[in-house]
Amino acid sequence: MDSSNAIVMPGERITIIEEVAKEKRVILGPGLRRLDDTVVASKAGPLRHKEPGTYWIDNYQRRYVPARGDLVLGIIKGKAGDQYRVDIGSADIASISYLAFEAATKKNRPDLNPGDIIYARVLNASADIEPELVCVNSNGKRGKLGLLADGFFFKCTLNLGRLLLRENCPALAALTRELPYEIAIGVNGRIWVKANSLRETMALSNAILTMEQAGYTEIDKICDSLGDVLQA
Amino acid sequence: MFMNTGFFEPGKTKTERKFIQQAVKQSQRLDGRKSGESRDVQLTFGGEYGSVVVSLGDTKVMAQVTCDMGTPTTSRPNEGKLQLYVTLAGVSYLDSVQKTHDKRSLTLNSLLERTFRTSRCVDLESLCVASELHVWCIRVDVNVLNHDGNLYDASTVAVLAALMHFRRPDVTFTDGELRTYTEKERDMIPLLFLHYPVSVTYCIYTSNFQPFVDPTLLEENTADSTIILSFNSYQELCTLNAGGTVPTDVRTIMQCARSAANRCKAMVTFVRKALDQDEQQCLEGTKKNTGMLGLMENSSQKLSFKTLMKGDQKQQQYKTEDMDLEVEAKPNPKLEADEGENADNVENVESDQPAQEEELPMDDSGWLPQEPEPTIDPTKQSPGKPKRKRNKGNKKKQ
Repeated sequence: MDSSNAIVMPGERITIIEEVAKEKRVILGPGLRRLDDTVVASKAGPLRHKEPGTYWIDNYQRRYVPARGDLVLGIIKGKAGDQYRVDIGSADIASISYLAFEAATKKNRPDLNPGDIIYARVLNASADIEPELVCVNSNGKRGKLGLLADGFFFKCTLNLGRLLLRENCPALAALTRELPYEIAIGVNGRIWVKANSLRETMALSNAILTMEQAGYTEIDKICDSLGDVLQA
Repeated sequence: MFMNTGFFEPGKTKTERKFIQQAVKQSQRLDGRKSGESRDVQLTFGGEYGSVVVSLGDTKVMAQVTCDMGTPTTSRPNEGKLQLYVTLAGVSYLDSVQKTHDKRSLTLNSLLERTFRTSRCVDLESLCVASELHVWCIRVDVNVLNHDGNLYDASTVAVLAALMHFRRPDVTFTDGELRTYTEKERDMIPLLFLHYPVSVTYCIYTSNFQPFVDPTLLEENTADSTIILSFNSYQELCTLNAGGTVPTDVRTIMQCARSAANRCKAMVTFVRKALDQDEQQCLEGTKKNTGMLGLMENSSQKLSFKTLMKGDQKQQQYKTEDMDLEVEAKPNPKLEADEGENADNVENVESDQPAQEEELPMDDSGWLPQEPEPTIDPTKQSPGKPKRKRNKGNKKKQ
């Protein structure tokens, strides 16, 4: 990934991509759109590039816009018919069917109550209908999805979630050196963590929240101080 | 620049509630504070009289005092008016239900009304220009800019500081003619206070009966009950707001009251010091004349509780010795500042303050009962059950 810091503003014409597009196929990610023969930014932020031809804008945003295939953390809000209503931070409340859990049948329903947290995948996301979630993969297995019990849960900006999920992000690996933990990161800006003890969980969540402002170089520093705190 | 840091309201899931309950059991808080430790309070005064921004951690509240001539009510023809308006519109959580929002603003409004209006902290009779005809109407606008818990304390400090910072123009009423003097003609007049109330908020959880002071929004949302106590600087109770589901016993409430009384006193001293410093800066001309945006910016000059009150903890120990010194030292800078025709008026305020401060050592928490000795405790607990029930009944009424 190219982490050059070319900041673009909404409405700006991006000629670099147009040049590249003459030779090969390019994929325009979030924040970029094509107007006839030109490529125009629709959001503000640094322009990112990934080989071979993917471009997107890493803009700062706190409202989640659902997209198919996203892994999200949702809060159960209630039951409606044969569906649960789930808050995933999008404009609409999402829904998940009783049958979208592993080994669920009409008789054998999952036991979820308002206030529970689930880790789910977005199955359907369209501007006009409410998003639909699912807690199983195409083989009917739950994998890592489903109810998250215990631990601690907090909300953050979308950027922090994306930052931690980036392939080359050293944060999670650096944290692993300090303590063992479980983590579920939703691209909707919600994070669930669980460590062995309450103290560790607390320290971990604070460390993760401070990482948002930090660069890659500072992550090691944060992890070091986290280790110091835990040893004291 | 200020920003709605929360955006999504925390403390709405079972996981968070369970986690906080466990943390409370071990007397731990997410931000590393102790149960009796408050966040730092920062005051920023605006260029105009009576505009203040208070930040308490991430919580930010702006208060603006304005005045206007009006007619008094028929029931109180020789009293001015004090009106409080609370706006919570600055905080709009994307996932919050409107209901909780309305409830929150109602609670805050009623708390401020009781703390400042019902307790009659501002001398309203001094705001009367002509009985039954002309009185001053003081309007306080409280704007919540960011909510990270403990709106109550931040708002009461903001309102108090704004009222104390405020100056109204001088006015005369002769031969049926009302004349308002501009600042150039006559000095502006500060409001007269009878006492200075501030509130302190506690959260109580079922897993640990120890009260937690100055809760964050997460702690507030997961708490089983919240107690808000307003005290004035003479340690007299002005407001008590208790609610929730935890069976709180008298001891807990008294424990809260004792520490709240001390905290309020320190807070009022802090506001006074901050005001003095602000006035000095205005006189020296070193103060940046900031507008509304400047008030909210992080770069603007802040007067922090921790730095201003550093030396004060020591002073409190030899309170009686230092008292005479303080009384002598205090009036001087203000008198110098307020030379002019309304010097009489200023002297009035000054003579009020030292007199009351001298009283302080005498009624110093005398009404607060001492901590019950552990030997008495078991005997107290056996007849303690009906007591608790009575408490519950009271709460419902409130």
